[in-house]
Amino acid sequence: MKKLLLFLFVACSFFIRARAQDDLLGDLVKDDAAKVKQNFTIATFKSTRIINLESIEMTGKGNLEFMISHRFGSIWKEGKGWTNVSQLFGLNAGAANTYMSFDYSFTDYLNLGFAATGNAKYETWAKIRLLRQQTGLKNIPVSLTWFSLTNFDGSDGPSPNDFAWNRFSFLHQILIARKISDKFSLQLTPSFIHYNIVPYGYNNTNNIFSLAIGGRYKLTNKTAISFEYARQLNGYKDLLDESASAVNYVPDLFSLGYDWDTGGHIFQFFFTSSSSATNIGQLSANTNDIRLGNFSLGFNLNRSYGIKRVVKSH
Amino acid sequence: MKKMKLLFTVLLIVMTSAINAQTYKTRDAQIFFNPNKDQSHKDYAAESKEGTAVLKVETNDVALLVPMKTFHFNNALLEEHFNENYLHTDKFPNATFKGKLIGFSKDQLTKDGVYTLSSEGQVTLHGVTKNFKAPVKLEVKGKTATFNCSFKIKAEEYSIDIPAIVKPKLSDETPIEANIKFQLN
Repeated sequence: MKKLLLFLFVACSFFIRARAQDDLLGDLVKDDAAKVKQNFTIATFKSTRIINLESIEMTGKGNLEFMISHRFGSIWKEGKGWTNVSQLFGLNAGAANTYMSFDYSFTDYLNLGFAATGNAKYETWAKIRLLRQQTGLKNIPVSLTWFSLTNFDGSDGPSPNDFAWNRFSFLHQILIARKISDKFSLQLTPSFIHYNIVPYGYNNTNNIFSLAIGGRYKLTNKTAISFEYARQLNGYKDLLDESASAVNYVPDLFSLGYDWDTGGHIFQFFFTSSSSATNIGQLSANTNDIRLGNFSLGFNLNRSYGIKRVVKSH
Repeated sequence: MKKMKLLFTVLLIVMTSAINAQTYKTRDAQIFFNPNKDQSHKDYAAESKEGTAVLKVETNDVALLVPMKTFHFNNALLEEHFNENYLHTDKFPNATFKGKLIGFSKDQLTKDGVYTLSSEGQVTLHGVTKNFKAPVKLEVKGKTATFNCSFKIKAEEYSIDIPAIVKPKLSDETPIEANIKFQLN
């Protein structure tokens, strides 16, 4: 009996010693590792746009993003010869579409934006985060964002006496993205476009569908290659325009870009087969056929500002 | 048999007291850093309020762990850069410190006052471990003991690459403030 007691005593004192020498940091690390966390996937794309189209990225909570974007004239116009060179491959052609936008996020999941898209058109939109790609507490393989945009055509236009309501068009998209690896992300974007009014014509339609795929591949921490392909699914062939003349749109939209993150700004340089600055124009009324060499240079430049102070002054 | 019971009780008391009595823990240690050259600017400043710290009184051992993703910036884009490009927080999720408090004794915790101590140990950040030494101010007030530590680190010593375009805006050494509050009882 006494032996047993002695043994117990020794064993216990060993236990105490062992506890006392335990590594404090090791305990903290273990505690931290034991906590089940939500690991949100960040930086699926560099910017809030892949190239032309919206990406699932949103400007951060309490952040205001200003973006300015240009699409220049065609790089090479057939039959124009040296004029193309003197126009600096579209850069100095005097035909650039400018797009300026402001994005503000009130919360982590809601972003509102406003843009002037050139040709007296204005846009406003809401972007709502439905799902975030994450591991840990929950396992969600993709990010899902809902994007809805309203476009108002304020131009003189062919029918200046139109009711205001006839000047509206709408775009709705579901953005489905996955960051497949550290470097590679893909996004699928089905779109639905609705024009409140379209010119009269047998093939003309108010409702247009399109499907886009976009992605980016990071070259370094600061640079990436991006691409986009969108295919218009209906309403592009044998249409009539306002003056009742026949028109065909090009259903394919190709873009190839280079993203450069300078630490404060994000520059996106790209080639794209559209000269329109608005998504609605790019996805439903594209006139540039890449097979005829109709593509142009463009860039997006954005800068975001922390409006709401997260870090309190010390 | 009675003797044995008594012995067991004594053993149990000794054991539990040895494990629990002299260790203090907190889950809301605050870490603030501001790498701006002009300290009145807070552009690149960030703060975490979710550090965990532990203090073992009789050995003066301390440890601190800060999950890197709990650092938040004013500008969400900079936070993304911090995680993705500079500190690679997927790969190195925590910053840690372990070491000793020098000049600390447990009597200080029983009397209100401000004490000047120092700490010595190792900091691990961005996968790099460096020896560390800094003065610490301890403020005891009633049932709380607050440890304040201000120190500076050089980004390059922890192999953190700062792009040339940002560098002119940042000071060579980043001032960091740690504020660790323990509840005593």
